[in-house]
Amino acid sequence: MSEQDQQQRMRQQWAADEIDDELHHVDIQIPVQQYDSRYDDPAQTPIDEATLAAAQQHMALAQVPDVVKRFIVHFHQAVLDNNLPEITAAYESGWTRLTEKFYAKTEWPEAEVIAPLVADDQIFLILYRELYYRHVYSRLQPNIDDRFHSYENSCELFNYLLNSDGPVALDLPEQWLWDIIDEFIYQFQSFCVWRAKLANRADAEERALLADADAGQVWSAYSVLNVLYSLIQKSKINSYLVATREGKTAEEVAEIVGEYGTRPVYRMLGYFSLIGLLRVHVLLGDFTLALKVIEHVELSQHQRVTACHVATYYYVGFCYIMLRRYPDAIRSFVTILNFILRMRQYHTRSYQYDQISKTADRMYALFALCTALSPSSTATATRLDDNIAATVRERFADQLPLLAAHDPAAVTELFLHSCPKFICATPPSPNEEGGGDPARRHLGAVLTDLEVRRSGGGGGEGRLRGFLKMYAKVDARRLAGLLDVDKGAEGGDGGEEETVQALMAMKMAGRRVSRVGGEKGFLEGSVVGTSELSFTINENMVHIAESTVGRRYAGWFIRNTEHAQRVYDGLRAAPLPAAPNASTTGFNAAGGKKDAQGQVGGAKTGGAKTVAWGAATQVKVAA
Amino acid sequence: MSEITSWISPPTRTELIENLVSGVDRYNPSNVGILEDYLYHQIRSQEYDCLANLAILKLYQFNPDLYNPDVVINILIKSLAASPFPDFHLCISLLDERPVNANADEPDPLPSLLPVLTGLHTLLQECKFPSFWSTYRSSELETLRDNYTVECVGFEDSIRDVAVRAVQATFTRIGSERLASYLDLKGDALEAYVKKLGWTSDSAGVITVPANADNTIESVVVQESIQLPQLSKVIAHAVHTA
Repeated sequence: MSEQDQQQRMRQQWAADEIDDELHHVDIQIPVQQYDSRYDDPAQTPIDEATLAAAQQHMALAQVPDVVKRFIVHFHQAVLDNNLPEITAAYESGWTRLTEKFYAKTEWPEAEVIAPLVADDQIFLILYRELYYRHVYSRLQPNIDDRFHSYENSCELFNYLLNSDGPVALDLPEQWLWDIIDEFIYQFQSFCVWRAKLANRADAEERALLADADAGQVWSAYSVLNVLYSLIQKSKINSYLVATREGKTAEEVAEIVGEYGTRPVYRMLGYFSLIGLLRVHVLLGDFTLALKVIEHVELSQHQRVTACHVATYYYVGFCYIMLRRYPDAIRSFVTILNFILRMRQYHTRSYQYDQISKTADRMYALFALCTALSPSSTATATRLDDNIAATVRERFADQLPLLAAHDPAAVTELFLHSCPKFICATPPSPNEEGGGDPARRHLGAVLTDLEVRRSGGGGGEGRLRGFLKMYAKVDARRLAGLLDVDKGAEGGDGGEEETVQALMAMKMAGRRVSRVGGEKGFLEGSVVGTSELSFTINENMVHIAESTVGRRYAGWFIRNTEHAQRVYDGLRAAPLPAAPNASTTGFNAAGGKKDAQGQVGGAKTGGAKTVAWGAATQVKVAA
Repeated sequence: MSEITSWISPPTRTELIENLVSGVDRYNPSNVGILEDYLYHQIRSQEYDCLANLAILKLYQFNPDLYNPDVVINILIKSLAASPFPDFHLCISLLDERPVNANADEPDPLPSLLPVLTGLHTLLQECKFPSFWSTYRSSELETLRDNYTVECVGFEDSIRDVAVRAVQATFTRIGSERLASYLDLKGDALEAYVKKLGWTSDSAGVITVPANADNTIESVVVQESIQLPQLSKVIAHAVHTA
């Protein structure tokens, strides 16, 4: 049987909508020898020789719908065969569909229950539990046991990967590997938040459990960092990134990274662990270390796992805000938001798309936030790329005037809405009142910078800038009069000194560190002027010169030329319209490139593209 | 070496410290002594290494029992002089909330000094240098001066550097009275300081600041310049389809 046929079959199998009616007609060649038929009928189970617990498990297994059993058996076989396309299909569509159908509000069957289906394959059961707990965390409320057991299971998985004799022969899709790391950190963050809340109202039993957890380093920051650093070191991912950047040959790279680093599973886990570390350090409030750990990463590379790509830019951009490197922050957001806009048409996998569009929303909000903190940086960005700025203007029409006036309430709201979910490294002591919210502390840093913008020269930097723009030369005292800081000014100098100090503060705020290109790490950069307004003070006379940046057209034309080329290529590659239905096909072709490409893909490669972009649409195309 | 590069990795940093800052050994609680010694070395020798000091705060964050308020206060004092760079807030970000130590013999000085230091930092950010000096010299801040900044060699000069950076970015000429209030220096001391900076003063007491990129103004029209690599896809496509 050809691979395509198999995939086609699998897809039908996992398309739960169609499964019910056709279940008995579909010829499914699954290894049924591992599947004991007596589980189907608990009444006939020989109870005398089984323990009661085992009997209960059999009963539980009997409750599991057949289609789910088949799915698990097939999934297991795919993992045993290291068959990536089949694993991907099961992971991305099969699991999701069966979840919607049977487990939207309940847990999947426990690993012990389905163990007989997979011949007690411990490795598969660990992977199964990984999915099991992720489902609990995302759809249900994890209880204290779930939290501890999901930690244990993660440890078992990482132990297996890191402490087996030599690299393990497991192969998993990149998306799953990213999800493993991403989920591990999410569960850590969730545990810290939950634990901080619980500290004050835990009963005696819960207290004892928590004390055990502390003693065993369950979900401690150290244990999480330990896993991520171990994966990074085992995979030698940093050496890999440096070697590929230096343009070493494949053989040289293989030599450098060794037996673990040459395997995709380890290399990808290593890479994702770097991004995971970036995130963990941001959550803990260490913005410099966060950027330092990814110093060898090239942001523009590795776009295959979209969720990872988007998360990287979000955390990098956020770090730059906290480092007050607003031009860098804005550049990060604009780059990735444009990427998301371009990718949007391809995304049909809803569970990821939700996450990505939530992150995108936060980045639009952070972009808006930057207009309050560094008006000149955002003004420059707007000239360079009006696309994103226009969306921001539309979405934050109400807030932008407040932000332009450096309003603390508006900034607070946007910050708390769009910041990462910060955590405390150590659990608060039980007697303490709630413990401070770390997000508020980081907000404080932002508000301090805002206050400097807001207080300067009576009415804030924006107003000062507005007056400066009207002059080529103005006396500081005259400026003070315009700003209404002359009355009641200290020292009777008519507010001159206050104005001069505000000008100095504005000057310093207009100098920001930024990566101008060619720097090695994310912390490197040079001081650049962000303001188009340059001024200088000669004693008390302010001299002003305004620079203008010509509008940029090249990016727009290049993007659209490339787009037109893709449409042209798509049309050229499309098959000629069939003669009898010339009128309808011609209409379709004119209908747009998406249609044309869909047909080409369907005709040429059959189901092969399904794996990449999800099953739902492709099944329709095939039909 | 640019000012950012030497901020990331000061030339005075030893190999031992470099390994701690850049490696996984930075998480090892038993190394906190080495980093603390290095901080006191910075204080005595007018050096500054922000990332190494953040590594101390990181260890405190993970191991609350290591916490030493004097070290934290000294780190914050050192970071004041980095203004307008956000070092002070980078340090604050790592100070997790901690329960107030009930031990009455040795009250934690940080909670009372933190607002003071934050206030001083804000004045520097706002370039309100005369207010900074009057606040700093006030009797309320005696504890800070007598217990901490007195030990920090060259602290006042490091704050003057903050003012000098702001002045040379903003002014072409500045009255000596104004400069005196920014630097908290008078008479001969001011003259000597100005001379050391290489600035000149005329008979009327107006000091000329040498021209630099920030205090020179010009109106320019920046036009877009297109690089060949931007067009590589378009050109490659044209070649293919030709």
